[in-house]
Amino acid sequence: MSEPIKIRASIKGSEGEVRVLMPHPMESGLRKDPSGRVPPAHFIIQVSLSLNGRPVIEGALGTSVSANPLFAFQLKDVKAGDRVAVSWLDNTGQKGSAETVFSAS
Amino acid sequence: MKRRHFLKAFGSVSALAPLIGSGLLRPGQALAVDFNRAPFEAKTPADVLRLTGTGAAEATRDIFLKVPEVAENGASVPVEISSNIPGTTRLAVIIDKNPLPLALQFNFGPEAVPRLQTRLRMAESSRLRVVATAGGKHYTVFRDVKVTIGGCGDQ
Repeated sequence: MSEPIKIRASIKGSEGEVRVLMPHPMESGLRKDPSGRVPPAHFIIQVSLSLNGRPVIEGALGTSVSANPLFAFQLKDVKAGDRVAVSWLDNTGQKGSAETVFSAS
Repeated sequence: MKRRHFLKAFGSVSALAPLIGSGLLRPGQALAVDFNRAPFEAKTPADVLRLTGTGAAEATRDIFLKVPEVAENGASVPVEISSNIPGTTRLAVIIDKNPLPLALQFNFGPEAVPRLQTRLRMAESSRLRVVATAGGKHYTVFRDVKVTIGGCGDQ
């Protein structure tokens, strides 16, 4: 993907909040475009979140997730400096990933 | 061969579905993500529940679900979910009237709070259900959402 993932991690109390925006068309393969063609399905099927290299949240997506998926997650007992990474895989085998570090709010 | 390279070489997940189902492709992740795509291809909520083995989900008040009562733009409906059921390991969202009702399914490890916020498409006014899994049992809650302009249409 040409556009990079946006990832932000902040600490609120003892919990860490991670917000991720993954630029992706999330084409369902069911929609007609204005010219009447049906663009082929092209959507993210898997999203993983890891904390200091260990997987903590993993998900499977369908075509009902909006274009440019936006997610917010919460992690327990996070401290400043912890590394959080997100990665996705789509139905065509394309991948994307990004990581950041928790900063004290 | 690494799974991802394998996927890339194949170029299509549906081509791999039989292999995944047969256990030939075993994902190496620590969390038990369901790589069976069949529930995502189911066309009715009943089939989604059957294929995910959650048909017997028990109604609960311990799942917080925030969705607008009226969504003006079906292309992007904000959804916030969190489970107060101890030991929740999975959250799934089903939009009954979408052509493919299963929207997402997330697994949460012990370091994660079983909570998420996202934006979903709704083709038309529909019931939106959440199914939470905790200790091998399933729990559910739903809301009916009115959609002014559908989000899977021709625009």
